[in-house]
Amino acid sequence: MLEIKNLHVKIAEDDTEILNGIDLTIPKGEVHAIMGPNGSGKSTLAYVLAGKNDYEVTEGSISWNGDDITELDPDERAAAGVFLAFQYPIEIPGVATMTFLRTSMNAVRKARGQDELSTPDFMRVVKAKAKELNIKDDKLKRPLNVGFSGGEKKRQEILQMSLLEPTLCVLDETDSGLDIDALKIVAEGVNALRGPERAMLVITHYQRLLNYIVPDMVHVLSEGKIVRSGGKDLALELEKSGYAEYGEAAA
Amino acid sequence: MAAEILKTKAEQGFADQFTAGKSALPGAGNAWAEGLRDAAWETYASVGLPHARVEEWKYTDLRRLLSEAYPPAPALAEALNGDDVAKALGSVLAGLECHRLVIVDSQFRPELSDLGGLEGMGDIQSLGDQLSSPADWLKQTLTQITPQQNDTVIALNTALMSGGITLRIGDNVVLDKPVHIVHVVAAKEAASVTLRNVISIGAAAKVCLLESYVSLADTPLQRNAVSELIAGDGSDVQHIKFQNENMDSSHLTSWMTRLGADVTYKAFQFSIGAAVARNQIFVTFAGEGSTSHVSGAVMGRGKQHNDTTMVIDHAVPGCESREFNKLVLDGSARGVVQCKAIVRKHAQKTDGHQMAQALMLSEMAEFDSKPELEIFADDVVCGHGSTSGQVDDELMFYLRARGIPEPQARALLIAAFVGEAIEKVSSEPIREAFRSMSETWLEGEGA
Repeated sequence: MLEIKNLHVKIAEDDTEILNGIDLTIPKGEVHAIMGPNGSGKSTLAYVLAGKNDYEVTEGSISWNGDDITELDPDERAAAGVFLAFQYPIEIPGVATMTFLRTSMNAVRKARGQDELSTPDFMRVVKAKAKELNIKDDKLKRPLNVGFSGGEKKRQEILQMSLLEPTLCVLDETDSGLDIDALKIVAEGVNALRGPERAMLVITHYQRLLNYIVPDMVHVLSEGKIVRSGGKDLALELEKSGYAEYGEAAA
Repeated sequence: MAAEILKTKAEQGFADQFTAGKSALPGAGNAWAEGLRDAAWETYASVGLPHARVEEWKYTDLRRLLSEAYPPAPALAEALNGDDVAKALGSVLAGLECHRLVIVDSQFRPELSDLGGLEGMGDIQSLGDQLSSPADWLKQTLTQITPQQNDTVIALNTALMSGGITLRIGDNVVLDKPVHIVHVVAAKEAASVTLRNVISIGAAAKVCLLESYVSLADTPLQRNAVSELIAGDGSDVQHIKFQNENMDSSHLTSWMTRLGADVTYKAFQFSIGAAVARNQIFVTFAGEGSTSHVSGAVMGRGKQHNDTTMVIDHAVPGCESREFNKLVLDGSARGVVQCKAIVRKHAQKTDGHQMAQALMLSEMAEFDSKPELEIFADDVVCGHGSTSGQVDDELMFYLRARGIPEPQARALLIAAFVGEAIEKVSSEPIREAFRSMSETWLEGEGA
């Protein structure tokens, strides 16, 4: 279970307060969506869950399965089961995708007390998962994300998510920049990972993604606070009314 | 009345070496060889060691960096065996499948070399022997290849050269293994080693040459090495250097290369050793339709000083040149990249581009980058670029969010940075050896 209690966060560099007391609980097995206008703090929440040090937690706590992870480094959180699918996946020239995947998987396995994967086992599991996500072999040979389209980068994120077997998945605007076909593939990949031991937090600006990844709960974030929570129908309501009443001017 | 220029201690030392030692240098008694030495000495002595007010040497002031001139390494054959050479090279390069030429101090040592398979392909001699009875080809080659003979360090080399090899590869010869010229120092006390290699590659030949410069012990060394290389028409030449001399060494090397027509020349230098290193690479295009790619990777830490200075001379039309250098600088290491591209008046359709990039691992590291373009033709494409930066925080966060601990993530990113340069080495076994050695270097980071 993810438990966020009274979370206050500011930008470390200039003290700007972004999150102003978030309380959120996601039981194992559930998928919750966070929606909200631009600038409401959605991406900040995602980064803070993953442990980015550009942000400083000034009050409150985050715990996962009963362990306080507020002070953990990003790699320690990954080992503890936290996975952030980036809104803008990073290109890393000079690092082959396979080298990266292998280093990442083995680091996480080692931290979790599992054996490192042998080369054949590693190749087998990567190829199988890549196939499910319609990722071609030549993309695995290239430097990570370099020259990939938006859709290809997002599929890489989901590939990494399925390989690292996290228990808490945070998806930050995974739908941005995707056409409908790519969106379906990505959503299928995510849905395949739904399970009783896994919690998911899906952050999105638009309701569209939630047609494919159907949430158990929807929360509205505005000015760094959760201002409303409801069932999946809340997303449809927001799609109609827009975020005007939550501080964003109508376009 | 001309004022006597005050000599530094090192300059006085070299002068004493030349005066006292020239009658014992190889080629003494041969009028041509003596004439070369005397002329070169005059050229050198008229200016002395280069210093910061000489534009080409502004970042590498030898008057300041060379505090004295070490005596020449004794010419007697040090007892050395194959294991010693392997130890100096390190296990990765020692295992390289190659034709091996071993030069101890400045002496070619056939008994340590492995020249099997080169019979009929090429001719290898000791330069010392050749200077005593020079063949015509040598007279037409030595000091004749590029216009940089008057560079003070090269002139000093010509005056004092005490050995090296001549290597001639025949026309149409295709070698399936690299020719590895191993330069190892065995002197037991502080010594200078001045040597010269003269290499001629026949027309349409295909050769990979690797020059390694390594130390067996921690003995302070002053190295002045020059390789002159002529690439015949249509030849395909990889010319690679590995430098890992000890941290009490100064390493001055100059490559002078002249390319015939339709040559593919790929040079690469991987430098991780020496306290002070100056890598000079001078390429002259003498025939049309040729390509020269000069790349390099430098990894420096502590107080290492590494200067790569290139002059690419487009003397004829229709040639392509690329220079691509990457430096990883830690501690208070200093890296220098200077590259001058000259496009002469008739060298139309020249295509040239240079890039130098430094990754700074410490606040104290320094990178000096100086591109120079001298373009006299009007139909050319020439460009240059230079960057310097730190390990990227966003990349670090991404890797760590994927479970990779900080030291490992950092090493991965540094290896990736330098790997983009090492990628330029065409020879797979040498490329993989350099990659492995760059990773070993990283394991010593912070040590």
